[in-house]
Amino acid sequence: MTDAELVTRTRDGDTDAFGTLVSRYYEACRRFAYHMLGDRSDAEDVVQETLMRAYRAIARYDERDQFRGWLFRILTNQCRNALTARGRRTRRFVQDELAIDQAHAPAAGLQLGVEHAALSRALAQLDALQREAILLKYAEGLEYTEMSAITGVGESALKMRVKRGSERLRAILGTRDE
Amino acid sequence: MSDDKSMLTFPSPDEDVVLAAQIAAMYAATPTPEAGAAERCARAVIAGSMHASTRSSLGGLRPRWWWGAVAAALLVAVTLRPWRAIGRGGGANASTTTLSDAGGVTQPTGLVTVLANGTAVRFDLRLPATANEVAIVGDFNGWDENATPMLHRNGDDSWSAQVPLTPGRHVYAFVIDGTRWLVDPLAPQVPDSGFGPSNAVVVEGGTQ
Repeated sequence: MTDAELVTRTRDGDTDAFGTLVSRYYEACRRFAYHMLGDRSDAEDVVQETLMRAYRAIARYDERDQFRGWLFRILTNQCRNALTARGRRTRRFVQDELAIDQAHAPAAGLQLGVEHAALSRALAQLDALQREAILLKYAEGLEYTEMSAITGVGESALKMRVKRGSERLRAILGTRDE
Repeated sequence: MSDDKSMLTFPSPDEDVVLAAQIAAMYAATPTPEAGAAERCARAVIAGSMHASTRSSLGGLRPRWWWGAVAAALLVAVTLRPWRAIGRGGGANASTTTLSDAGGVTQPTGLVTVLANGTAVRFDLRLPATANEVAIVGDFNGWDENATPMLHRNGDDSWSAQVPLTPGRHVYAFVIDGTRWLVDPLAPQVPDSGFGPSNAVVVEGGTQ
């Protein structure tokens, strides 16, 4: 069943249809929020809030949009809100959790785990908007037009964020290698 | 031969392509959520949305500027619990127990956090005892143990649920595996009103 059909059923009150949409996109949303916020609990809270907002606003969803893009538009806003609201809270970045999770991985994956942790640590040092642009471009594999629709930011500004974010990442990773 | 320029051209590695591949690999290696997490989240979202629609139909209270200060004071009070009497609990409902006497749990660590937008509360519960599922029940979901399942954090004993709550006093308890109702002895408790001993939380609508 397509996303559009599930949306239609959800609008008709079929909660199972919404459950299917959630099962399709929960992991993707959680992964993006996880790398944006650097904290698993915060990420899960943001995903739940995102899905709550999507469920309440589903009557306003325009079928001409991709559901995933519409959902990510809400998600990126919620991530920004969470980062703003984090306020004085101590920031805990993702690298520690990743390192812990991957410490128990099979030996073949251990080296990759270390590299991922280093890259994740470098990502966490980026400006939040650069990190958002980098994740949407390189991790989600989106085109700039799609990124613009999700973030509400112009394509040229997004290209600049990706460019500067990439340079900063390479500088951080280069420093680490030295 | 010498005019075959392609033979002389060695494409240098595109740094952006390399970086993109590294990020994509890191992204793909993100630890996956535990089985059933999406389903529990969907149920929580639907339950929360139904509760929110009920709230809005009642007219609701508009947030006031001073709610934030009151919320902060109450949050501190609820967290520190200076008035707490150790060993309270038991009560008239024999099926309800306190966390301290539930299954060998030595130290309960329930935590109630009013989220920054002031319209929702996150309940965190650390439950060292083995549990397959934990739900939160209260006056906000009709004491329905199926309405608001808590999410189990990977790798530890923590359970969490985010619930939209109207400003005011709310009464709640935890349900372990659908049968055992628990209250947090470290949190404020209220007299049995028919659902066994319960905790209370006061929610305000302003920012913290």
